[in-house]
Amino acid sequence: MLLKDAKILIGDDSILARKQLKDVLSSMGAVNFIEAVNGKETVEKYISEKPDIIFLDIIMPIKDGITAVKEIIAEDSSAQIIIVSSVGTQQQLKAAIEAGAKDFVQKPINAEQIKAIVSAKFD
Amino acid sequence: MFVQFFGGFLLNKGVVSKQQLIDAMKKESTAHIQLGTLAMHASLMDAQQIEDIRIAQTHTDKRFGELCVEKGYLTEEQVNELLASQYPKYLLLGQILEEQGVFDQATFHDLVKEYISENSIAEEDLPLEDGETVLSLVRDYCSDLKSSNKEYQLSYLQLLLNNLIRFIGGDFTLLRPVIRSTSYPTQKFAAQMVTGSYCLTSVLDMSEEAAIQFASRYVSEEFTTFDEYVQASMEDFLNLHNGLFNVNISNSYNVELGLEAPVSGEKQAISGGAHMYIFPALFPFGVVNIVVSEM
Repeated sequence: MLLKDAKILIGDDSILARKQLKDVLSSMGAVNFIEAVNGKETVEKYISEKPDIIFLDIIMPIKDGITAVKEIIAEDSSAQIIIVSSVGTQQQLKAAIEAGAKDFVQKPINAEQIKAIVSAKFD
Repeated sequence: MFVQFFGGFLLNKGVVSKQQLIDAMKKESTAHIQLGTLAMHASLMDAQQIEDIRIAQTHTDKRFGELCVEKGYLTEEQVNELLASQYPKYLLLGQILEEQGVFDQATFHDLVKEYISENSIAEEDLPLEDGETVLSLVRDYCSDLKSSNKEYQLSYLQLLLNNLIRFIGGDFTLLRPVIRSTSYPTQKFAAQMVTGSYCLTSVLDMSEEAAIQFASRYVSEEFTTFDEYVQASMEDFLNLHNGLFNVNISNSYNVELGLEAPVSGEKQAISGGAHMYIFPALFPFGVVNIVVSEM
């Protein structure tokens, strides 16, 4: 699939983090973004929009990212979820991967790291 | 990190005012260290000799080093070694203050000696700022502050200073910590709770004008008004710092701490826990207050 055709869901309570991610992905050719500001909204938008990839924060109000990963994976075990979080402890990493996340990026957002992950999944 | 403490040392000594310090910090990025400052710091020249050279320079079109060699104060080899040497950044700050007439060369020299002696800084550590020496400075800085876990408190503060330097800039002076027993009245703030066996509320608080500059530096974008991106920048910095703190605690002590989502607001009173401290960082654009309240 071409990145320009991909539907990308960004679940992060920080408008700044969402913008930074969109800037990186836009520079690669992505155009189709859906945003969610907490874990609950991310799960709801996943179900309604069926995005091709999700970038998800862990520390969020209402519902945290790990719980959101579990609920999305319960809905669709093939969901492509990338965790983007400031808390990169081994335990958090393990919890995210066990819940079904495909990758883990520690904030601050490193454009090259995001590009490498996206390039491996889209043309 | 010595420079952030050196400014505080000068303020505490009463030899500079906050405004003089701010004016000097504004010039730090464009100023250059002078050979005379380096020579005096290396105890190769005294204040009188430097003054001699400066006077001589007004009569002849020769470089400072050239005149030092001519007068026999330094050898050519020493001049070259000094010019190639690393130096602690606070020397530049002191030099600017001296140029501004805040104090003279001799006083500058004495203050540096006193600062080194008071903080037991080894000469060879000065340009390197190794972790142990910096930790010792941080330890001295918060020696009067009680904590439910002193090592965690030190780790939190040391990381905070590193993150301020890394993400906002090194041109700040850490002012004396303030112990707060009543609630703290905020200006524009972001707050976040660290949860678990070491529980604290962290608050990043500053004026609207300072917040705009803080965010501009953090995101490397020019903000002119206080908007949702400025607010998000404050939350983001705090979230990043606390996240890294949790990673450090996990790696160093095998203890997992949690984090609540950051919140922000303005003009609210933050209630204190058992130990509530304000760590003010004086930047050229204003004071950034970091309030830490342990539960």
